[in-house]
Amino acid sequence: MRFVFAPILIIISLPAYAAEKPSAAQLDFFEKSVRPVFHDYCVRCHGERKQEAGLRLDSVAGILKGTDMGAIIVAGDPAKSPLIKSVRREGDYPMPPDKALTKEKLEALVQWVQSGAAMPVGAQQQAENPAKNHWAFQPVKKPTIKAPENVNPIDYFIASQLQKEGLKLAPMVDRRTLIRRASFDLIGLPPTYEETESFANDPDPNAYAKLIDRLLAKPQYGERWARHWMDVARYADTKGYVFTEDRNYPYAYTYREYLIRAFNEDKPYGRFVLEQLAADKLKDIKQPDLAAMGFLTVGRRFSNNIHDIIDDRIDLVGRGLMGLSIGCARCHDHKFDPVPIADYYSLYGVFQNSFEPKELPLIGEQERTAEVAKFEAELARKEKAAADYEQKMYADALAPFRKADSIAAMLLATVATEGFENARADKWAVDRKLDPRILDRWRKAVRGHDDVFGVWRELVKVPQSEFEQRVKTIVNSVKINNSIKTHLLQSRPKNRDELAKAYAEVLSIATVASLEKKSTDWKQLESLMVGPEGITNPPKADADKLVAIAVKRVFRILRNDAAKFRSSAPASPPRAMVMNDNARVSEPVVFLRGNPNNRGQRIPRRMPEVVAGAERKAFTNGSGRLELAHSIINPENPLTARVIVNRVWMWHFGQALVRTPSDFGLRSEMPTHPELLDWLASTFVMDDGWSMKKLHRRIMLSSTYQQSSQADATTATKDPENRLWSRFNRQRLDFEQFRDSLLFTAGQLDAKEIGGRSVNLFTEPYRKRRAVYGFVDRQNLPGTFRAFDFASPEQHTPQRFQTTVPQQALFLMNSPFVIDQAKATANRTSGEPYERIDSLYQAILGRLPTTNERNLSIEFVKSSNDSAEGLTKWDQLAQILMLSNEFAFVD
Amino acid sequence: MNSGMITRRQMLTRSGVGMGLLGLTQLLGDARLLAAEPKLINPLAPKAPHFTPKAKRVIHIFANGGPSQVDTFDPKPILNKYHGKPLPVTNLRTERKTGAAFGSPFKFQKYGQSGIEVSELFSHTAKHIDDICVLRSLHADVPNHEPSFLLMNTGESRLVRPSFGSWVTYGLGTENQNLPAFVSMCPGGMPLMESQNWQSAFLPGIYQGTYINTKDVNPEKLVEHIRNKFSSSSDQRKQLDLLQKLNRQHQEIRQSDVQLEARIQSFELAFRMQTEATDAFDIRKETRETIDSYGKTDQGRSLLIARRLVERGVRFVQVSHAPVQPWDSHDDIEINHRRLAGEIDRGIAALISDLKRLGLFDSTLILWGGEFGRTPVVELPQAGSNAGKVNGRDHNHWGFSVWLAGGGVKGGQIIGATDEFGFKAVEKPIHVHDLHATMLHLLGFDHEKFTYRYAGRDFRLTDVHGKVVNEVLA
Repeated sequence: MRFVFAPILIIISLPAYAAEKPSAAQLDFFEKSVRPVFHDYCVRCHGERKQEAGLRLDSVAGILKGTDMGAIIVAGDPAKSPLIKSVRREGDYPMPPDKALTKEKLEALVQWVQSGAAMPVGAQQQAENPAKNHWAFQPVKKPTIKAPENVNPIDYFIASQLQKEGLKLAPMVDRRTLIRRASFDLIGLPPTYEETESFANDPDPNAYAKLIDRLLAKPQYGERWARHWMDVARYADTKGYVFTEDRNYPYAYTYREYLIRAFNEDKPYGRFVLEQLAADKLKDIKQPDLAAMGFLTVGRRFSNNIHDIIDDRIDLVGRGLMGLSIGCARCHDHKFDPVPIADYYSLYGVFQNSFEPKELPLIGEQERTAEVAKFEAELARKEKAAADYEQKMYADALAPFRKADSIAAMLLATVATEGFENARADKWAVDRKLDPRILDRWRKAVRGHDDVFGVWRELVKVPQSEFEQRVKTIVNSVKINNSIKTHLLQSRPKNRDELAKAYAEVLSIATVASLEKKSTDWKQLESLMVGPEGITNPPKADADKLVAIAVKRVFRILRNDAAKFRSSAPASPPRAMVMNDNARVSEPVVFLRGNPNNRGQRIPRRMPEVVAGAERKAFTNGSGRLELAHSIINPENPLTARVIVNRVWMWHFGQALVRTPSDFGLRSEMPTHPELLDWLASTFVMDDGWSMKKLHRRIMLSSTYQQSSQADATTATKDPENRLWSRFNRQRLDFEQFRDSLLFTAGQLDAKEIGGRSVNLFTEPYRKRRAVYGFVDRQNLPGTFRAFDFASPEQHTPQRFQTTVPQQALFLMNSPFVIDQAKATANRTSGEPYERIDSLYQAILGRLPTTNERNLSIEFVKSSNDSAEGLTKWDQLAQILMLSNEFAFVD
Repeated sequence: MNSGMITRRQMLTRSGVGMGLLGLTQLLGDARLLAAEPKLINPLAPKAPHFTPKAKRVIHIFANGGPSQVDTFDPKPILNKYHGKPLPVTNLRTERKTGAAFGSPFKFQKYGQSGIEVSELFSHTAKHIDDICVLRSLHADVPNHEPSFLLMNTGESRLVRPSFGSWVTYGLGTENQNLPAFVSMCPGGMPLMESQNWQSAFLPGIYQGTYINTKDVNPEKLVEHIRNKFSSSSDQRKQLDLLQKLNRQHQEIRQSDVQLEARIQSFELAFRMQTEATDAFDIRKETRETIDSYGKTDQGRSLLIARRLVERGVRFVQVSHAPVQPWDSHDDIEINHRRLAGEIDRGIAALISDLKRLGLFDSTLILWGGEFGRTPVVELPQAGSNAGKVNGRDHNHWGFSVWLAGGGVKGGQIIGATDEFGFKAVEKPIHVHDLHATMLHLLGFDHEKFTYRYAGRDFRLTDVHGKVVNEVLA
């Protein structure tokens, strides 16, 4: 039994004090005098809608659980009960916050706690656990099929359901429609006229099966299906907003290349998941497959906030791979699904203990051409220029503070500002043209470091008259750094100013690297001044503020220049966007209310209980990514296989069996055909070894897939939403299919090269590569992508929206890209008007026109003119056909 | 409404047809279907909110960068008394180090019946003060631009969430299908955080704001692909006539598939849009007098376009001042604030006058304000952060002013107050979430019930926060 009780259903381990059955009088007191107080004064913030501090006072379970910090009641001891402390307005949380309870009500609470805090506990334990019986959390079981062997199992499940409703599958579609459907489905492109005709006239009864094999063998299959996965993986070529840093992901494309390769090679899905989460940990990994880990790393960077970056990765793994919205448990236990906050932070720990190396690994065979060598030299030069400049920039900015006169002035300033509050000291410094930030560091420093500043602190208290004579005695009477001691004794300061000067001379010398500093005394002073936490070595953020804006701008240009060169130079070798395990692994803690400054209990890294059971083991191998991946693809994981076969079904049919494809939790919809889903999932894992191509064949060879998309009157009434799959769903081409088809029809599509870097799809001259290679700028997604319902790269996309808006039509009517394709298509045709019309229909719609259509076209060209702007009437006709619904939809 | 999990019926009905709505209803011919989900016929069709709203549309005049409250709408003469001296209280922590009190270099004066004091920076706007509700006790979370931009515009400082305008268009649709429902303008480039300020996030992309660079006066450059550069309008009409004939034939044998009809209609819509959108953005059609009244600045032009858009039924218009964060006066606040206010003050006054003249003021909700305010004390010099002139103010999220006017807003009043120096909101503090809750209320929404299901959760603009500020309501 892998099912566990949902935490929302809190099964309480009864505290000892409640073990005795409360008396009726006690319960009565609770109901009459205590519960009403909670109800009237507390539940507004500690009830169903809000649970401030994690506390709920509207249920016995909530009262017993207490706050995120622990129990609120110590039965029998009001003084020790945080609840009583709060209502007495003692301690940190006086409650209710606005007004104290009346004495009478307060006393009721005290009395209740004093007498054992009795509550009707028993009733709570009998609550049902909805998660226990939720379909998606049950083990996948292969259903039995009560039908002859030659019946396709998919059709068996679909047809038996239809039969119950008095319906049957729609008729088989004609072959011309079928080849168009299969072709768009598998390779994202239409068949040519010739391919269509030859398939339509093929007498071979296995022609369709062979067609599927042929399509699956094309490299364009990988391009099409990689794009589906890129929706899941929230692929983009940029990081989103990251201040002034270069935003590009120069190597995101290597992840896309990996995906295309993986689909084309029919990499088993289990292995595919394993590589995307933990390729770096696999002993048998081939170098190029390290790129798989782009799955984790191509997400938004949230101004480099690590907690949000990890959250994005947890969401991706949860919803993308298992249909589980774990992200909901970042701040509190999931409100609907059995995912407690601790399970979120168990996964947080996995990613917290992984990092992205600065120098990403090279992948693939590197040919050491002259070009590559030149690129590397140039890149090294640019990166060195930036690094050198940065170093010099900070050195220059800090140098003045390491000079003796500055040090002396600062030392004296620490005396003048002694006892000042920081703000006052800052003001004092500014008025005297001293840097308040550096002074702040001096003020802190002179209070400590006794063997350096102890003498200083003593001597500044000495009156001027006794100064000179006291120097020697004081210096000799305490433990003091020898370099300081020697210099003080030699220079014999006569007053405070001279003392400061003497100190400054030594300390300034200590900041200069070339001096002999072999002694530990010199080393101590060097570290004190310019070491990692040195007085004149402020943190980068502060040092940054000492650098002039103009200087910083130069640095930014140099840095971004190097980054751009790396990402755009053609000879820049590909690298994998990997993660690695931290050298030192630490266990995560729960961040209460999602706040990193509010740390709760320490917890192990491990799988969520809902998928791996209460007996789950803690991860021990490095960060635990590999164990996480293995646990996800464990055949006993009830979610993984169901989620992926459901997605593949959706990508074929335009609609999924479970209509919430990334949420299989308690609020998801039931599958339209639960047995079919389980049959697909178990066959996929147990019989087909996670093979995607086998899954495609199983689905596409079914009669369910080969049905007509025409609904007759009965099915339209009885199955208006096609939840019974009583017909095929007519589907509109998505943006990539549409754009690529325009280029394909025009004979312009560059379909030969597979893989490569991203290209801008929307600037002239238009690139002719497939849309899957389009550059995706996460921060400012191009308007055309948005208008055509392209997957949002913000977060994982479960399913694309489908809207029909005039912005789409404007693009088709007026964009130079579409006009180019119309012209190119028209240019492919020649001859007499009738011939040209036939050729246009063949090229664009893959068929010959009907007589009526031919006549309409003739009429159009006869009555039209070439436009002054260079659009011939033939171009215009070609554009019309490319804009038609027939072109845009697959029946 | 579920995201991503669109049923076929939803998918069909969601297809966005504006003017073709009637045809669509007939086509569906199924009253039950329409009654079940009337909202989904067209994602941008006008929709009714929870209760009858006072305001039907929004203009957000975004003073991006953070204008100073003590120099605009929250006078603190005591600062002039302390000028150059430390405040008797400790400075609150803001982004940078701050020093002595810094008296406002601007003169304040009482305006209107209400006698509300406004600085000379907004002397034109102040003529409408009796219609303006000044909120002096706004507060946000942190003194940094990036999270505060997102908080003001999306209700969440870090994570990717739909913008205010996206929520409003999702909830109300729009009244003119020939124009974008939600327009975000900024002359010369984008504000900081760029399109995140008008993102739709997990809402359908159609609810994303359309960005318009109002530096350009040529309307053809303002809306992508709005102009047909390749043939005459009559030639294009002829093309569409044949296209639609072919589409009808295609549709006939496919029964009444709504997706097909939707696409047919979308071409007609696009054809009309070419004229209407061009017209809406073309302020050259205004009289010289009107153009002048908005002040001859990029900002005035943006506001004039904003008026033309709301006049035509656009639901949400955001006008940012200039690229990045122009109001961010760390130095020379006197010069910079004077210049910035000078660029937009006349425009705001003209906008309000125009809306009143057109009878739109009472149904248009106007919000003016930045993402936070500025410190009442001077910012100390820092080589990397400012020019070291010690005459500017740091960011201040502890307390700042915004104002509301128009639809459902009780004008001529001040709500809330900052402490005696203008540092922190102390009286009736209003968090940005409360501002959002109040504005949604004016638009007819209960902000706690206005939700969208995504990733297993019902999301709200106000997350789990927000209280309506009842004093605002007329």
